[in-house]
Amino acid sequence: MTEVLWWFFAAIIVAASLGVVVARSVIHSAIFLIGSLAGVGAMYVFLTVDFLALVQFLIYGGAVTVLILLALMLTRADVTGIPEKLNGPQAPFAALVGAGLMAILIGVAVGTTWPGDVSGRALNVPIELISQKLFLDYGPPFVIASVLLLVALVGAIILARQEEGE
Amino acid sequence: MGAEQAWLLAAVPAGMFVVLALFGRYLPRKGDFLGVLAIGTSFVLFFFVLHNFLNAGEANWPMTRDIRWSDIGAFHLRMGIAVDQITIVMFGVVTTVALMVNIFSIGYMKGEPRYWWFFAVLQLFAASMLMLVMADNLLLLYISWELVGACSFLLIGFYWEKRSATEAAKKAFITTRVGDVGLLIGIILLHKATGTFNIQAIIEQAKAGEIGSTYLFVSMCFVFLGAMGKSAQVPFHVWLPDAMEGPTPVSALIHAATMVVAGVYLTARMLPVFEVADGMMLIITLVGLTTALVTGFIALAQTDIKKVLAYSTVGQLGFMFVALGCGRPDAAMFHLMTHAFFKALLFLGSGSVIAATHHNQEMDKLGGLWKKMPITGTTFLVGSLALAGVVPLAGFWSKDEILAGTQTWSGGWVTIVLGFAAIMTAFYTTRLFIRTFLGKPLDQHVHDHTHESPAVMTLPLIFLAILAAISGLVVFNGVGKALGFPGGFTEFVFLEEPERYHIDWALAGGSVVLAVVGIYFSSWMYWGGSLVRSTRLAEFQPRIYEMLQRKFYFDELYQGAIDRGVLGFSYIVSWFDRYVVNDTGVDGSAQMTGYSGFLLKHLQTGKVPNYAMGIALGVVVLAAAGLVVRG
Amino acid sequence: MVPLDNYLVLSAIIFSIGVYGVLARRSAVLILMSVELMLNAVSLNFVAFAAYLDPTRITGAIFAVFVITVAAAEVGLALAIVIRLFRNRATANVDEAASLKW
Repeated sequence: MTEVLWWFFAAIIVAASLGVVVARSVIHSAIFLIGSLAGVGAMYVFLTVDFLALVQFLIYGGAVTVLILLALMLTRADVTGIPEKLNGPQAPFAALVGAGLMAILIGVAVGTTWPGDVSGRALNVPIELISQKLFLDYGPPFVIASVLLLVALVGAIILARQEEGE
Repeated sequence: MGAEQAWLLAAVPAGMFVVLALFGRYLPRKGDFLGVLAIGTSFVLFFFVLHNFLNAGEANWPMTRDIRWSDIGAFHLRMGIAVDQITIVMFGVVTTVALMVNIFSIGYMKGEPRYWWFFAVLQLFAASMLMLVMADNLLLLYISWELVGACSFLLIGFYWEKRSATEAAKKAFITTRVGDVGLLIGIILLHKATGTFNIQAIIEQAKAGEIGSTYLFVSMCFVFLGAMGKSAQVPFHVWLPDAMEGPTPVSALIHAATMVVAGVYLTARMLPVFEVADGMMLIITLVGLTTALVTGFIALAQTDIKKVLAYSTVGQLGFMFVALGCGRPDAAMFHLMTHAFFKALLFLGSGSVIAATHHNQEMDKLGGLWKKMPITGTTFLVGSLALAGVVPLAGFWSKDEILAGTQTWSGGWVTIVLGFAAIMTAFYTTRLFIRTFLGKPLDQHVHDHTHESPAVMTLPLIFLAILAAISGLVVFNGVGKALGFPGGFTEFVFLEEPERYHIDWALAGGSVVLAVVGIYFSSWMYWGGSLVRSTRLAEFQPRIYEMLQRKFYFDELYQGAIDRGVLGFSYIVSWFDRYVVNDTGVDGSAQMTGYSGFLLKHLQTGKVPNYAMGIALGVVVLAAAGLVVRG
Repeated sequence: MVPLDNYLVLSAIIFSIGVYGVLARRSAVLILMSVELMLNAVSLNFVAFAAYLDPTRITGAIFAVFVITVAAAEVGLALAIVIRLFRNRATANVDEAASLKW
């Protein structure tokens, strides 16, 4: 039963990703992105790291997509209503490159034998483990990451603010 | 003061060279007396060394002394001196003649520019020559060899304001260089075969048969090339006549008595090795014989007194090499000694004539000088007769010994040819004497201004004349023993099997006849100052006369070969440099770089998506390649 | 449950789609969205490995946390730049920013 659900969510993710890159309207792409991110969150649930799933929904679905939608609205160039072309001149070649990359990655992934039992069994990752690792073993990176966020925040403000007279 | 201190003989003049070179021009009289002092010291030291040498007894010969020079890894070099009979003879010859030349130069070089430098280089030369004859290893010998060559160059080009002098100096140096390279190759080959530079060791190894015979032959050919170059044997003889551009005392010392005999010395020293190498003795004999003949012919047609003497020197060197080729180093050294005395005498005598006639060297302008320069004339006569080989002067004894030695070659052809050369020697010597000193003066103006030279020049002439007269008598055992030697000259020098000297009366008589024939014929031609007979002879066969006068066209041949060869080669090299190195290499790589830049700049489109594509494409290609490589 | 390979293949697919999006789209914002896709795929990959091969230490999940954090910061900053670019040139198309041409 769970397997069927898994395949369902996998299909959603793939469809949504495709939607992101081929949609005719930028807003449509943004909505599809939300779908894709949500699907990945569901995947995290299947992998029993619920904490990560929550983080995914919150940050990506909440913050990042809002940010993207905001930027889209601020940079709309087609005020005249004429839909402008969304694909650049090298799109066909990009498709080839993407396909090639996919082939290589899948080939490597499937072809390698991974150490350990990978057939699919009951996973169980307790949340205490995550907190333990995050705050104890990887405490310093955690703090640095917070500094990083502060820097990004300040940087974004400086970059995007309007000067006098603009 | 033992033979071990023989190095002092060279050290004193060497030190004086430094003093004179640095301070000579500030000293009173420009330091000429210091030069005489230095050589005189060597001359005196020679007697001490000789005394010690003789006292030490035959068992102790050669007397050696060496020091550790360098140790690099497995290469151990010892340098030192070895004094044996040949060295002692050379010591005597070099110090004596050098002393006479130094004294003579005080008079001859008076008023010349760079007077002090002349004496300085004379000292350096004496030091190098002495070092050469006492070196116990080939490396030290080669160093001295080069040094004497350098001194020769400096002195030939002494009057470097004259173009012909500098050309002659270059010619001398370059010609001997060809030989020197051969010598160096020979030394290296020998070292490779024997592992040492020490002459004594090499001789012993060669005699023991430890060197392969073809290898030995080739090495000794190279070594002999060096001897041929330095001693001006055919075909290297071309530099010696030109070397007469140098001041006449230089010609006397370097190009008659000492430096040019370095080749004879080297061959004599290495003779045991030459004997082991099959065929070398014949080569040596042939070279000497050819030289004696060719130069004899050329000397017949020369009119410059110094040139006649120069060709005569080369010819007499040929005689010495014939003696060596016959296995008679004693005869060769004997002739070396007597020749040094009378040839130096003749050169200094001609120097006296030149100075007196205000630097006129052409026989066309001389004649009848006997009355005006009696001392010079008499001593010159003694020297001429010695050269011609008239008994009982020195030249007779030594030439006779050589002729006796030629009998080792069966068939007597060597003896006959050498005898003919001896006749020619007598002929042109007499011709020289008659045309210079006897008969009617050909240029009255020159004649009127001539007067005898001062004592400082005539005293060396007299001393050398005495030596030229009596030095031949040391060949007798009685005379030798009376002087403290273990026997006569040949017994003293002959290193391996001393023979009692005995006179072969038939041969002695024969060589006297040769001399007389030559003299008589020449007198008939030239006596009375009349050139009628000789001019008629020259007109009889003008082409032959021209060939003799032009020295068998050797110089023209060499110049043409050098012109064609060197210039032709340089055309090829310059073509290569211009088209391959410059156009293709230098210009070509610059153009390549520019062109590739022109092509590659199109990659810089400025568009970010293109760059992103580049990254992605690179990743895919590398990943694919990695997969393929890993299988 | 599903074997590990499934997750790996899924993440490969998403990643490739993201690469296509980065190379083919003209608007800067769209490109950023594709980058988000790629980062997601990578995080999924890490977490899958951590859960299956390293359940006692789940280092991969921690890694994914940090990836998400940094991705969020990066998107914020990148969009600020895009807004700036838009103000200067009245367009968000990356094709038009080609002044470093030869």
